[in-house]
Amino acid sequence: MSELLDTIKEAVVNRKRKEIEGLVSDAIEAGIEPVLIINKGLIEAMDVVGEQFAADDIFVPEMLASALAMKLGLAKVKPLLKTGDQPSLGTVLMGTVRGDMHDIGKNIVNMMLEGAGFTVVDLGVDLTLEKLMEEIENLKPDILGLSALLTITLPEMERAVLEIGEKGLRKNMKIMVGGAPVSKTFAEEIGADGHGEDAAEAVTLAKRLMGK
Amino acid sequence: MKSTSYNLIMSALYKGMKGERPPVGNPTSIVCHGLMDLCGISFPEAHLEPQAMAELALAGHEILGFDTVMPEYSVDQEAAALGCNVDWGNRDRMPDSRHFPYEDFSDVKIPEDFLEKPSMRVVLDALSILRRHVGGKAAIIGKVMGPWTLSYHMVGTQNFLLQIGIEEKEIVHRMIRQLMPATVASARAQFQAGADIVVLADHATGNLVSPRHYEEFLLPIHQELTSTIEGPLILHVCGNCTDRLEMFADAGFDGYHFEWQVDAKTAVEKIGHRMCLVGNVNNPEVLYQGTPEDVYKQVRYAIKAGVDIIGPECAIPLSTPIENLKAIVSAVHEGY
Repeated sequence: MSELLDTIKEAVVNRKRKEIEGLVSDAIEAGIEPVLIINKGLIEAMDVVGEQFAADDIFVPEMLASALAMKLGLAKVKPLLKTGDQPSLGTVLMGTVRGDMHDIGKNIVNMMLEGAGFTVVDLGVDLTLEKLMEEIENLKPDILGLSALLTITLPEMERAVLEIGEKGLRKNMKIMVGGAPVSKTFAEEIGADGHGEDAAEAVTLAKRLMGK
Repeated sequence: MKSTSYNLIMSALYKGMKGERPPVGNPTSIVCHGLMDLCGISFPEAHLEPQAMAELALAGHEILGFDTVMPEYSVDQEAAALGCNVDWGNRDRMPDSRHFPYEDFSDVKIPEDFLEKPSMRVVLDALSILRRHVGGKAAIIGKVMGPWTLSYHMVGTQNFLLQIGIEEKEIVHRMIRQLMPATVASARAQFQAGADIVVLADHATGNLVSPRHYEEFLLPIHQELTSTIEGPLILHVCGNCTDRLEMFADAGFDGYHFEWQVDAKTAVEKIGHRMCLVGNVNNPEVLYQGTPEDVYKQVRYAIKAGVDIIGPECAIPLSTPIENLKAIVSAVHEGY
């Protein structure tokens, strides 16, 4: 059994998108529990991918390819999950701030968070404050993740953190920020609860913010 | 050598004689709300009207004291001419496009009237206006997007990078190569219109791709571009590119405009003897959030390190305090 799970893990780490569905089918037919396939095969693989990314052994193209393989494998096994099998680690609302159309970093964080077991709601890019507040009030997420790639949109990130707080929406919600021009210093200065240097750090941070 | 703005920049570009002080310039945008208010011109008209575009660029030299004028504030001029539906934004938001005309990686058709498209025409006309105003007095910098960045615009950044990740190398190579003529045409036209230097922005940044990716997919293309385009070229690649600096020099560019994430001393040590270095005052923490004293410290650090042309690391945040931009100029006027 562990051999099959190892080959699934290896297929995601080594970006074998054409083989992953067959390998996951083999594991299902061999009677391996879907939860195990997800946790020990797919999620552990993305942990490895995250470590490689943080160490600069791989870059965004390879991460996207691994995430694709994981997504294909997950699509094969997720329908077999029984309710309550895989409780979510928490709900994360993700978006890129107003005036910024960039989303690769955010999308990779989304993939890594989902891979780690979070429920992710992606609001997209160029988010007005009004839209953000409306969705926070509707969805009541555990974590809000804000992304910016352009230095010229950093003021929007600052404003969003400030006004969400002033509206009293931070009582049960943490805010994490990230993106190429966003530093830990900037994150602290604007009052965010945490900063992720990269997607792997974002997952670690999200788990820490959830007390896990 | 007279220490005019033009002389200081052009001499520094070729590692030539030093004047009374280091030159101060930015190959990317120094437009902020403060500058817009001072000269009475705002976005989006400065992206769309040549006179407005030129006057806002002139303000950087005449009001702030930068030695360069650079009229192309967005990264979308060629993309619009190639068929993207660009939203030209407003005073608070830079242009962008969420439309990817070739996301299926079909063959790119560069229109025959590419240089006559409105988004190209406005830049060329603005450059000619600038030439009449400051030709020989301030250095006029044009800007083109390289074929890697144009690929992002044509197919979507994530889509493009995914193809690299799943090793569809042939279609990636083909897309880049098909877009090269647009970069060449745009650069040549900008020199002819009045640019002294052209900055070539190609975002194979260290935050996205490895040096190996640059070497395989883009270095040969850049070598071809620098040998084809006759005028002086400054490369701009964002992010931490410390691991590929030597390759940028191998690519044949005359200069490299770099960001704060690359330490100035390291950059000078690695490639300062091979190309002009431009930069690299930090945007988010210093220019946007810092004080004039913070700006002063970074400028003096860069000068001491041996950076040739001092300026912001990239296009500045629109809310940058004007005092901080002026602080770059006054720090440079202290001399070497």
